[in-house]
Amino acid sequence: MEHPILFISIILEKLGLPIPHGPVGHGLIEQLCAPYMTYTWFTMIFLVVVGKLTLGNLEMVPGKGQNFWEILIGGMDDFFVENMGRELTDKLFPMIATFALYIAVANLIGLIPGFMSPTSSINTTLALTIIVWITHHIIGIRANGLAYVKHFLGPMPILIPLMLPIELISNFARLLSLSIRLFGNIMAKETLLGILFMLAGAYFAPLPIMVLGVLVSLVQAMVFVLLTVVYFTQANEHAH
Amino acid sequence: MHESFRLRVVETKMSKMSKEMIHLLGNYGHIGFTFVAAIFIGMGGGIYLDQKVFDGRTAPWFTFIGLAFGIAAGFKSLFDIIKHQNKEFEDKD
Repeated sequence: MEHPILFISIILEKLGLPIPHGPVGHGLIEQLCAPYMTYTWFTMIFLVVVGKLTLGNLEMVPGKGQNFWEILIGGMDDFFVENMGRELTDKLFPMIATFALYIAVANLIGLIPGFMSPTSSINTTLALTIIVWITHHIIGIRANGLAYVKHFLGPMPILIPLMLPIELISNFARLLSLSIRLFGNIMAKETLLGILFMLAGAYFAPLPIMVLGVLVSLVQAMVFVLLTVVYFTQANEHAH
Repeated sequence: MHESFRLRVVETKMSKMSKEMIHLLGNYGHIGFTFVAAIFIGMGGGIYLDQKVFDGRTAPWFTFIGLAFGIAAGFKSLFDIIKHQNKEFEDKD
């Protein structure tokens, strides 16, 4: 429906594996062969292979590939240090940088015909969000101990009955807004591209949306990472 | 060495233009969604309490209370976003 042709699904079908016809299949193998799963693996393999190819042998005087990664990783490191401080960045850099690269590649992959964005499935984005959400609580508890509860109690003891539900609701809202924003933006992009391609693909109707799609993909990856950093910082600092 | 220098120039040029923009998008782009999500969670919790926990005996009340708390939580996260942004500006000055 959303995509006319998904080439990994076709290859798997030729190999005799069951491809689900709905969004999620029945049974383990069918679920593993769902498009968002296969394209997640594709993204992972892509990142690993490209990283291996460009960074196979590190040199003092970097070549083109190494240069690209140095700028990308260096820029991300600077950005995280600016927002979270050196200590937290050293601890969490691998996780957040992986999220950034994965989400950016996964968003952009959907612009190529025959591919789909794994992030246009709520399962992927919700999984990412749950990891971030649980991690920010773990950071808070490790940094503040039992005093982390004070984050949810508001400024004064009298206001506790009022502030506790409000803080809890706004905390759970993070779970919802972080996952649905990424999912919604990318799903909208994918669906719009599919429909425009079906209606007037011969007249290059999807082209403007593709240009916007590049922007949306990068901005959404950026926003996800920025909010992750903000949540980690807030959990790490002492209660007001 | 030459290649590296050129890439770095490109990077600084780009960052001057778009860093501020991306920062603003990241900080303010999610206001609407966070607000709505807070209201939905508050009201959903209220409906759950009314329908599932108390079997509809307290019918409209927890829904309204949940809605009120949800709206309050929405405004609270709005204030948090603004506070965070203000702090960032003060840090820069």
